[in-house]
Amino acid sequence: MKTGTCIRIVGLMLALFVAISASAQALNSGAQPIALNATLGESLTLTLSASTVNFTLAAGSATNAGSTNITATTAWVLKPGRTAVGVYAYFATAASALTDGAGDNIPSSAFYIADNAGASTALTNTVAFGGANAGLQLANVAITAANRSASRTDVMAYNINLTGGALPQLPAGTYTGTLNIQAQATP
Amino acid sequence: MRLRKQFGTVVLAVATLALASLLAGSASAQVRNSGASPIALNAVLSQSLSVNLSGNAVNFNLVAGSANNPGSTSITATTSWTLNQLVAVVSVYAFFSNSAAALTDGAGDNIPSADFQISDNGGAFTALTSTTPFGGANAGMTLGQTLILLFNEKGSRTDVMKFNINLSPLPNLPSGDYTGTLTIQAQAI
Repeated sequence: MKTGTCIRIVGLMLALFVAISASAQALNSGAQPIALNATLGESLTLTLSASTVNFTLAAGSATNAGSTNITATTAWVLKPGRTAVGVYAYFATAASALTDGAGDNIPSSAFYIADNAGASTALTNTVAFGGANAGLQLANVAITAANRSASRTDVMAYNINLTGGALPQLPAGTYTGTLNIQAQATP
Repeated sequence: MRLRKQFGTVVLAVATLALASLLAGSASAQVRNSGASPIALNAVLSQSLSVNLSGNAVNFNLVAGSANNPGSTSITATTSWTLNQLVAVVSVYAFFSNSAAALTDGAGDNIPSADFQISDNGGAFTALTSTTPFGGANAGMTLGQTLILLFNEKGSRTDVMKFNINLSPLPNLPSGDYTGTLTIQAQAI
C-alpha cells in the first residue's frame, strides 16, 4: 500500500473520530448525594510535668523554695462563643494550705507561686475553684477566632514564706498539703 | 366372450372420464390471497447512565489539628451504562458545590474541599481541588474513567471510596458539628 493511501486512510479515520466526538452529546447520570457529618468535640485539658514538690523549711525564713518547678500545659478546642481560658492554682482552705495534722498550719497566704518567671505571688484570691482567698489566677487567655484550638504552658516555681504572723513560731514537723491546678473556659 | 370385452371397454371409458373431470375441476379452483398488511416494528434501547451508592451518610469524629480523621464507613459507587456511541468515555466525579465550605458549622467556620480527601479503590488519598463538569470551581475530583468501545457499550464500574478529613491546615478550627454534602455523578461523552 502506498504511503499516500495510508495517510488518506488515517486522515479519514481521524476525521471520522473528530466528527463522532463533536456530534456526541454528553449524557449525565443523576447526582447522588452523600451526607457528611463531622464532629469536633469541645475539650479543655491540663497536664502537669510532675505531681510532687518538696520543701526543706527554715524557721522564720522568707525563702523556702520548692524542690522543683512544675509545668502546667493547658490545651483546648473550644466552641465559638468562648471568650477566655483561665488557669488557676488553689487550695481547698486558705487557713491550712499545708498542715502537720496536729493543728499547726501554713496558710495559703504564705504559699507563693512565680508563674513563667514572673513575680512570686501568694495564693490569697478567691478564684473559680477552691476555698475563699485560697487561690491565684495563673493566666487569663482571651479567646478569638485565631486561638479557639490552642494551648499554653505555665512554669511554676514555688516558695513558702515563714515570716508572716505566727509562722516564725511554726513548730518542727512534716507539713503536707495539696495544691490544685485547674483551667476554665468561659462563658 | 365378446360381451365381456365390451364391458371392459365401458369401464375403462368411465374411469377415463372421471379422471378427466377431476383434473378439469382442479385446474379451475383459484387460490385467493388477501392484501399484505405491514406492521412497522420500532424498538428503541435508550442510552442510560446511572450511579448507585451503597450508603448515603458518613460520620467523622474529628481530632483538632490531626491529619487523620477517617470517615466511619466506605461507600461504593456503582456506575452502569448503556450507550450507543462508537467511542465514548464514562467519567465518575465526586464534588462539592463550594470549595471554600465543603463542610460548615453554619456559623462561619468551614472545612474546605482541599482538606477533604477520597481514596478511590485503594489508591492514594486525594483532596478535592479540581474543577470538574459538576460542582464548584476547584471543588471536585475525578474518581475514574472508562473508555467505551463496541465491546463495552453496555457495562458498569465500581468505585470504593474511603474518606478522610485533614485538619492539619486548620489548627484553629473551633469545636462544633460540621455538615456537608458530597455528590457523586457520572458523565458519558
